[in-house]
Amino acid sequence: MKAEKLKWLCAHIAFICMMLALGEWLTVNRWLDPTFVGQPSGVLKFLWNNITSGQLWVDMGWTMAGTLISFLLGSVAAIAVGLLFVGFPKFEKFLEPYLNAMNVMPRIALAPLFILWFGLGLGSKIALGCSLTFFIVLSSTVAGIRGVSQDHVTLCKTLGASAVSTFFQVTLPGAVPVIFSGLRLGLIYSLLGVIGAEIIASEKGLGQSLAYLGSTFEVNGVMALLLVLAMIGVSVMKTMTWLEKRLLHWQ
Amino acid sequence: MDNVNPSAEFNNSPLAIAVDAVHLSFDGTNPVLFDVSLHVQQGEFVSLVGPSGCGKTTLLNMAAGLVAQTGKGSIQLAGAPPVQGNPQVGYMLARDSLLPWKTALGNAMFGMQVRGVPRAEAQERAQAMLQEVGLAGFENAYPKALSHGMRQRVALARTFALGSSVLLMDEPFGALDAQTKLQLEDLLLRLCQQHKQSVLFVTHDLSEAVAVSDRVVVMTSRPGRIVADIAIDLPRPRSIRELQKDPHFHELYSQIWSHLESGWSKHEG
Repeated sequence: MKAEKLKWLCAHIAFICMMLALGEWLTVNRWLDPTFVGQPSGVLKFLWNNITSGQLWVDMGWTMAGTLISFLLGSVAAIAVGLLFVGFPKFEKFLEPYLNAMNVMPRIALAPLFILWFGLGLGSKIALGCSLTFFIVLSSTVAGIRGVSQDHVTLCKTLGASAVSTFFQVTLPGAVPVIFSGLRLGLIYSLLGVIGAEIIASEKGLGQSLAYLGSTFEVNGVMALLLVLAMIGVSVMKTMTWLEKRLLHWQ
Repeated sequence: MDNVNPSAEFNNSPLAIAVDAVHLSFDGTNPVLFDVSLHVQQGEFVSLVGPSGCGKTTLLNMAAGLVAQTGKGSIQLAGAPPVQGNPQVGYMLARDSLLPWKTALGNAMFGMQVRGVPRAEAQERAQAMLQEVGLAGFENAYPKALSHGMRQRVALARTFALGSSVLLMDEPFGALDAQTKLQLEDLLLRLCQQHKQSVLFVTHDLSEAVAVSDRVVVMTSRPGRIVADIAIDLPRPRSIRELQKDPHFHELYSQIWSHLESGWSKHEG
């Protein structure tokens, strides 16, 4: 098993090195124009400079702070509303058309409004991130609770459990796996919302740097930040998977 | 001794379950249950058999308080009308309905904990029950890691650990393969011998009904009514394996089968 993993890792490293070498070769010989596609050595140089100067960490800090805060606010609100919906189905029925309309609207279109309301700082980033996370986590919370095994509910009834105790003993733990998959997606979407808002208008953050570098034709910088964003995305997913394994080890 | 009706020995004790002239209709016109009367003595094991849709599960669920009794007639369990969560009554479903996030021990404790048994006592009783159903050493296993048979054993442990005097079982072995089913029927025979509960047991499986019961009650459909009530005078303790060789077991089986058949032919005619 270990040996197998190592083999795959080596294959990936070899592949990445080959692609980098290919890119370098193509751009050095001007078969591809580095002004538009960048150059692997230039990307690495940019990364190195920004890591040593600390600029990358500052940007990353702002972006991650926005992402985590919007994820927390959005998902807590979503779970609370989801529980309310399950408790009061009429409430959900009434709000459904409005929520649907909001959900299908491209939320990034709200960015100008949020920037107007909450300014160029973290506030507008959090607002947009929240608006994306909220709906994803809301629908998974409702689906998770609705999808709880009827056998478990029947069992609780025959045992004489109260509605509250049934909810905490059976319904909520049974819904956790589905809610968790919503949270996992919600986290990725809050990153999307924050980066989007940063690109549109911001003073700080990876999205702001990305927009600036793009408009000044610093393609190496753009490529470097895209790489960083991909790495952030992957590590966020890995963390969620790890957490899921710890929390839902019974699955 | 062989010819003595085992039900006779229960006749002097008060009734565990008394169903008297019960009618039920969901839509007001088509009767689901028609004039159903059924008495289960204390310590008696009674099976309800019949075709799908004959109302046997509905009757069981009425006794458990899961289906409201809206028509004529009366149902009493241990002297009280059916109510959900009656501590005198344990209910077992066809599927194991174990909570996947709890271990075998946690699941065996679950019923008692809902009913307010203190944790330490629940744990002790659950551990003893798991041992009794042959799952010693599996206390910390999660349901996912257990086979179907083992999971249903945990469900049996959860049900019997409640210590209720009346058990209602809705095809508890219906979802198991034939081999596992036989093993669990043997286990159920042992548990009932040990714990002396009164059981109302719904099943599709005639040989299962004959093997485990003191009486088999045959129902027929549309409307659901009782067509036969047959005493199973096979001596206890029984063993499923030995019963297969007993000619009287097969006589009873075919007797019940003919009642079921007559129900069908009447229905078709």
